[in-house]
Formats: sequence, C-alpha cells, structure tokens
Amino acid sequence: MLGLKAVLFIALSITLMVAENRGAKVEPLRQWLSWALTPVMWLAASPANVSNSVDYFHSRETLRDENRELRDRLLQQDARLLRLASLEAENVRIRELLASSSALQDRVLIAEILATSQDPYRHQIVLNKGGKDSVYRGQAVLDAYGIMGQVVQVNQGSSVALLISDPDHGIPVEINRTGLQTIALGRGDGHGLSLPYLPGNADVKVGDLLVSSGLGGRFPAGYPVGEIHELRHAGGESFMEAIAYPKAHLNQGRQALLVWSERALPSSAPGEETVHVPIDLPAKPPAKAPKQAVVP
Amino acid sequence: MNGMLVFLGSLLLALMLQIVQLPDWAAMARPAWPLLVIGFWALYAPTSPAIAAAWVLGLCCDVLLNAALGQHALGLVVVAFLIRRLRGTLILFSSWQVALALAPIWALYIFLMFWIDGLARHAADANLRWLPILSTTLVWPLTAGLLDSILSRRARRNRMRLP
Repeated sequence: MLGLKAVLFIALSITLMVAENRGAKVEPLRQWLSWALTPVMWLAASPANVSNSVDYFHSRETLRDENRELRDRLLQQDARLLRLASLEAENVRIRELLASSSALQDRVLIAEILATSQDPYRHQIVLNKGGKDSVYRGQAVLDAYGIMGQVVQVNQGSSVALLISDPDHGIPVEINRTGLQTIALGRGDGHGLSLPYLPGNADVKVGDLLVSSGLGGRFPAGYPVGEIHELRHAGGESFMEAIAYPKAHLNQGRQALLVWSERALPSSAPGEETVHVPIDLPAKPPAKAPKQAVVP
Repeated sequence: MNGMLVFLGSLLLALMLQIVQLPDWAAMARPAWPLLVIGFWALYAPTSPAIAAAWVLGLCCDVLLNAALGQHALGLVVVAFLIRRLRGTLILFSSWQVALALAPIWALYIFLMFWIDGLARHAADANLRWLPILSTTLVWPLTAGLLDSILSRRARRNRMRLP
C-alpha cells in the first residue's frame, strides 16, 4: 500500500517533468501554485524588509551628506545630458539619412524586485510586474548600470527573470572599443561572465566595455553589459577566453527596468515564446544558442 | 486536530525557511528544510500523510525555486518512502544514531536533485553541492527535538483535559 502510493507519486512527478521538458502546457499549474504561494514569498521576504526599514531612521548627518552628494551628481549628470541631447539630435538626423528605423527611445516600466532566487545554483529574480502589465517572455531587464537579464516566465501579477550571470544564459555583445561581436555566457559563480569564443588574435584588453549588440532581437542594442576583467589564452588553443564582470548591480537594489525593445515582437499570450528572428541573423534565440557564436 | 495544525504549520515554516534570504556564503550551506520536516513526520508520526505531503511540498518548492516542475516533489517522495520503509529499524536507534543513519538518505536526495538538474541541462558547478548534506545532518537533532517537544507537550495537555 505504502509502496503503491510512493510509486504513484513518483510516476506523477516524472510525468510532470517529462511533460514540461517536451513543452506541454503545465504553465497554468505553475502559475496557479505561484499565485497561491504569494503569501509565503511575502512572509519570507519580510526579514529583509524589516532590515531595510531600519535604514529609515537615518541620522540627519548622513541624510545631509547624501543629499549634497546627490545634488552634485545631478549637476554633473545634467551637464552630460545637455551634451547628450545634441548628440541624440545629431544621431537621429544621421539615422534618417541612413533610412534606419531603429528608435533611440525605448519604452520602459519600473518593476520592484520581490525576491531573488534562494537556490545558489540559479540566478533569478522575481519582479512585481506580470502579464497584467503586458510583460512578455524574453523581455530585457535593466538597472541603472546595465543589462540584468531577461524575463523567462510571466505570471498574472509577477514575472521571473533570468540574470545574465546564470550558467543557462547567453547574451550577444559587442566590444565597445572595437565593435567585435561575440557572446557572453553566465559563469554561474554569481558575479562573472565568460566570453569563450574570442579568436586568439582578437583585439581585447582588460577594462574594455561590453555593450549589447542587439543581434537576435531580444535585447535592445547599446546598453552596457560588463567590463573585461581578465583574459585567458591557453597555449595551443585557437580560442581565447575573456572573463567579464557585469555592469548591472545584480544582487543589490530593489528596482529593475523592463524594456520594450523595438525589434522584439509586441506582447502575445503569456508563456508563449516571443522570439523575433531577423532574416540575416543566426536563427536562434540568443539565450539558447551559445554554440552559434558569431565569430568574425 | 491539534497535531494537524502542527503538521501544516511545520510544512509552511519549512517552505519559508527554504526561500528566506541568506548571505551568499551561507546560502550554499542552507539545510534542506522541507527534507527535515518530511523526514520527521515520516519517522515519528506513522499516521500522518507524509508521502502525499511530501509531493505537494515538493511541488511548492519547485515553483518557489523555479526548478523543473516535479523535481523536488520526486526527491521528497522518495525520501519519505525510504524513511517510512526503514522506520522499524530507525525507531530503535538513539537520537544521534538516527541523525547519522539519515545522512545517506539526505545524500541520496541531494544527488537526485543534482542528477535531474543535469538531465534538464541546467549546468551548475558541483564543487559545493555536498554542503547541504552536512548542514541538514547537523540541524536534524535540533529540528526533531523541537517538533517532538511541541507534540509531546500538546499530547500531555490533551490527556490532562480528557477525564
């Protein structure tokens, strides 16, 4: 009797796993469960919230210092923005000359980070915006410093995003200084990206900035992704590997930006794969095609 | 009725402890709380629906940790079944012997999780995967003692009220 029950449940679990792997629709079950478990998530996040609210009682001194620092920063940023405005106008004119349609302004939405994945082997965050706010699967997630990752699961009122440092994640990047195109994969150690497909003679230096290239249509082009930290070239190997640190503050902060990039398809039913494949580019979504690296 | 309350409460608490935020260095060694709770009920409460609870709790874990649906459910059901099966032997041991005897079962669970991750092509480095086995074994006497004392206190109170 005991054995029969165990076998039944084991068979059920295996069926679920296989079904999900084969692409069957188990998403409703997952969404329903995650809706039912919202209070648990909320309660589990409360210790962190309490420690955050302790910050509320800041001393006057710190607040004044911070205020002054922020005002200084604002002044600097304003000055830079002035220059940027003229550059943007110029860029628009040049793009019109080139008859290129890609816009500079992306539509964005600010989302609160509800939870970070507590499995140390998965780098994921839960955001408080979901299908109701027309978030779609594959959407890019940014913070103030760079690209954080992409949405992998959309629920009604929340969504799950995979960070660029997850070993399952890959993002097409270009090296800002030279324009060299390559792919950055997560290393899974929480704070590293790996660029494994660099030619041995590629012009890459420590400190080079990586920006998203927009190939594959999933991420908007031109956002910072990381900075080269180390170069490894094993003798006899035809490829060189570079290690980069993400620019985005992946495990700090409470907010993230969801971006509607111009080249992705508009939102469809949640849970449906929305991969927009441009005609002349590698015909696979970037997150799943590390082997299709574009090596110039 | 009261026992049921403790049962459900302990399952909820285990879920919460599984996803509460820990610093990076501690997250690697987080004890598998659902495993501990399911292990306790399978071992010391033969009438509790431990296997069904293991499956539901496992599904909840899968959703909260965004793992393959059924992964933790499978592991927890296997563990609950094994402990129920070995109950006759385990119950004769002293508490520290039980703690040691359960360590291989925790190891089996961790290995199952690792194996399924591998099948689902979720690459993750395996260097520190064994840490939860250690921490779960260390935390077991504490969890079992705590749940046991709650249960026996309730039982005593109920018995006094009965006549």
